[in-house]
Amino acid sequence: MFRSHVSVTTIRQVVEINTKHRLFSPGKLTPGKRIVGSMRWESSTRPAPLLTATPVRTLVDEQTCIKASFLPSNHPVTVCARMRSDEGDLWQSFAHYNTNSSGMFNLNSDHSVGGSYSGCEPMGLFWSMQPAPGEREGLRLRKKCVESPYTVQISLLEGHVSPNQDPGKEVAAVTAERWYMSPGVKRQEIRQNGLVGTLFIPPGPGPFPAMLDMWGMGGGLPEYRSSLFASRGYASFCLAYVGHKDLPGPSNTVNVGDSYFKAAFQFLQEHSQISADRIGIVGLSYGCYLTLHTGTLPGVKPACLIGINGPVGSSRELLHVNVTTKKSDQDQVFWSFDDQGYIIFKQTSLPSNLHPESIVKLEEITCPLMYIVGEDDLSASSIENADLIEKTLRAAGKSHLFTRLSYPGAGHLIEPPYSPMSRASFWVIKPEKLMTLWGGHPAPHAAAQEDAWRKMLAFMELSLRR
Amino acid sequence: MENVELLVQLQQLEGAPGSPSFFFGQTIVDVALVFGGASHADLCQSHSESSRPKRTHPPAIRLHAVRACTVRMDNSLQRVKLSVHPSRALVDEEFVILVQNVPPGSPMTLHALHCSEDGHRWEACGHYIADSSGSINAADDCSVGGSYLGVEPMGLLWSLKPVPGSKPGLRMRKKDVQTPMVVAISVFNGHHSEAFVDQVSLASWVVERWYMAPGVRRIPVTEQQLTGTLFLPPGPGPFPGLLDLWGGGGQLVEYRSALLASHGIASLALDYLTNEFTTQTGKMVDNQYFETAYRVLQQHPQVLGSRIAMLGLSLGSVFTLKMAVYSPVVKLRCAVCISGSHIQPVSGGPQEMMDLFTRNIEKINFSEQNEVIWRSLLLPVPSDPSMKADVGRLRCPLLLVVGEDDQNWCTQESAADMEQMMARAGNDHLLTILSYPETGHLIEPPYTPHTPSSMYRGAGVDQKMMVLWGGKTPEHSAAQEDSWRKILTFLKKNLYGGSDPQAIHRSHL
Repeated sequence: MFRSHVSVTTIRQVVEINTKHRLFSPGKLTPGKRIVGSMRWESSTRPAPLLTATPVRTLVDEQTCIKASFLPSNHPVTVCARMRSDEGDLWQSFAHYNTNSSGMFNLNSDHSVGGSYSGCEPMGLFWSMQPAPGEREGLRLRKKCVESPYTVQISLLEGHVSPNQDPGKEVAAVTAERWYMSPGVKRQEIRQNGLVGTLFIPPGPGPFPAMLDMWGMGGGLPEYRSSLFASRGYASFCLAYVGHKDLPGPSNTVNVGDSYFKAAFQFLQEHSQISADRIGIVGLSYGCYLTLHTGTLPGVKPACLIGINGPVGSSRELLHVNVTTKKSDQDQVFWSFDDQGYIIFKQTSLPSNLHPESIVKLEEITCPLMYIVGEDDLSASSIENADLIEKTLRAAGKSHLFTRLSYPGAGHLIEPPYSPMSRASFWVIKPEKLMTLWGGHPAPHAAAQEDAWRKMLAFMELSLRR
Repeated sequence: MENVELLVQLQQLEGAPGSPSFFFGQTIVDVALVFGGASHADLCQSHSESSRPKRTHPPAIRLHAVRACTVRMDNSLQRVKLSVHPSRALVDEEFVILVQNVPPGSPMTLHALHCSEDGHRWEACGHYIADSSGSINAADDCSVGGSYLGVEPMGLLWSLKPVPGSKPGLRMRKKDVQTPMVVAISVFNGHHSEAFVDQVSLASWVVERWYMAPGVRRIPVTEQQLTGTLFLPPGPGPFPGLLDLWGGGGQLVEYRSALLASHGIASLALDYLTNEFTTQTGKMVDNQYFETAYRVLQQHPQVLGSRIAMLGLSLGSVFTLKMAVYSPVVKLRCAVCISGSHIQPVSGGPQEMMDLFTRNIEKINFSEQNEVIWRSLLLPVPSDPSMKADVGRLRCPLLLVVGEDDQNWCTQESAADMEQMMARAGNDHLLTILSYPETGHLIEPPYTPHTPSSMYRGAGVDQKMMVLWGGKTPEHSAAQEDSWRKILTFLKKNLYGGSDPQAIHRSHL
């Protein structure tokens, strides 16, 4: 964002007026504001402090180091981060620091003493962002356009302030870009053989290992995890299966069956730039069930499976080959509500509430399986499902294939790292507005996202490349 | 022979021209089965006779046959992983190139390819041996061949040279600073130094190198007959300022200023030779032009008028020193002179400087390759005080950057003379000299290619000539890296911090 020089000039004029008259304050200043104190830094002999972010352009899963120097020593400052989502909503965070005796602070080593997070959190400004006051409610941050970055304005404010109540004066700023795609990654919209998805291919000749990537019942086609996989050297195909305009049938039902998911896997196998024997499947929430289900379809031999916070079966009717399924109202009996009227879907995926015939025959799995649990998941019974998977595999003598990651305080939406989380957000808006509780608390959830992503990539490296 | 052609054409259909030796072991049988062609022995015989596959129009071929050819790579090399981080960086930032999952001990070549704005292709390569864990890390491991040797994390960038067959005398300079320089980095099996276009790489990555950080604002400056571009760092400011001058080639060269603004310094790149006024009237600007530029910078609401520096390269350093020593208007916090000199008609401006060159034209020399050597033009260092800036009168810190193999200006002699003058005047505590052996004239921001000579046209001159700048690529590149870091430290210390008196020191690398 461009800062108009007008405000700086106005403040300078006001300083002169204020020291002379102390009466009239034109411009943007609120009455009663103590000019002199906050003008302590503003002088004609010293430049503004230097605020840096290194590197200034990163992938979303990379860290950046935020530092400031040429500040007064042992002085309170506030760092504030702001950015706009693709829909135009303003997200922001802030943290309070104290400079050291050399007038510097460094987010990699110093502790936040207040604000959106506390303690030593190098990436705290990014993962602790929340919608700014006055923005729409029930928001969840999801990048629609992965070819453009998030532009984050990081500002340095005087004193320990809350940017919303008492904005203070911005004394320095730096702009950081957070990208979901590396340069050279190719994005291809796939609408063939009835498949609806987007394929991301890393740069280079290939052939590449690949991932089939599925999300939950929220539907649509989130591309941002796949684009990040491609930015790490894995071809990735994110597949839509519900709630997408290019899919057949009504958008609130799953109208595709086994043949669809098998075709998606085969599409990857037959792709000239993909190694047919190095394809894994990953899914979150209902996508986790689809991951396990597709992974055990006859003729589908994945090299690895990753499930995040999802069930091993479906509460809905069984998915048959070439038979469309309908989302039934039956599972609404499993919904519960908290005192704010937010839906908690958790019971729907309790193993005892799943259709027994739909439960994936986990004992038939022949490849490594990683399952990630958010222990504060309020949307899925992740712990219970993880227990079931573990029990089944152990009984089948295949526990060596199983890796379980379990994160206390983490919710349902375990996404790529350093992304803000939503404990609740809108599930539907029409015919009525319904919010759902995902669970999780910011700091442990952020730690879970960071650790899980790293372990997922290492798991993929081991299973798909060695 | 026919079937060899067919094999090549199959690979072409997939968009991946293959080195025949790569594919023959696994795929030739498949092709023979599909097409019922010659025996395996025949095909191998054909291959050894052909030196390089010819490119002809591919016939129509069933897709599954094509797939059988290209997917069958040697298994041990299929897992090769190449990563370069960060993939988007500023031009002066380092990256880490990591190759993994390569058979331990195998020879590999790292390759960089860049297509410049003017359509030329530049490439570089390094030869490595994978370690026992099957990895190569360009930051730790030693290149044993190619366009750079030794442990050089950034060697693939600074050793970029025009591909064979390019026009002679090219120089890489980014005109559009709002877009990045895009480089494709690849890894090849074996040690190769040429003909990369005929090979298929094992893996590839793309990096972007930016001159402008996000949020930096680019503002054309045309007031008061100036021709320049101001780059403002992001934020409210106020920022320290800098006047940025290039040399005798003229033009408005923006990339150094863009980079300085990305480091927090509001920087005004100024064209003083081919500016609007000069191109329209045919007359050169006078010294007031620089003072006007200084005032414009000083009065900008987001620039801190009391903290302005000047940086000049080559001819730009002449006017930097002139302003620093003599101008009643220009009050510098500090000055940086790269590959320059204090030798100049003190009372004159750009025109008088050009006249001085013209008067001494017979002092030019030529190299064995007929490249112009201008370094003797201003020699010997005059003793006449009206012919050199009196640096003994300087009141601000001065940083001189000297390439000891500068074939274009007498930088070394000038620096030595300036040191003597300042020692006699007692202000040599303000002087810092960075002197680099085997380093030429064009000392630019780091990790950009070294130009030992290039086709050059001076401002206002009709003909181009091949000019020798000097320097050996490895040493010159090391000098660019070291000097830039020290220039930034010097500028930040003087512009952001207090003004400490500096002890004189000369560092030889």
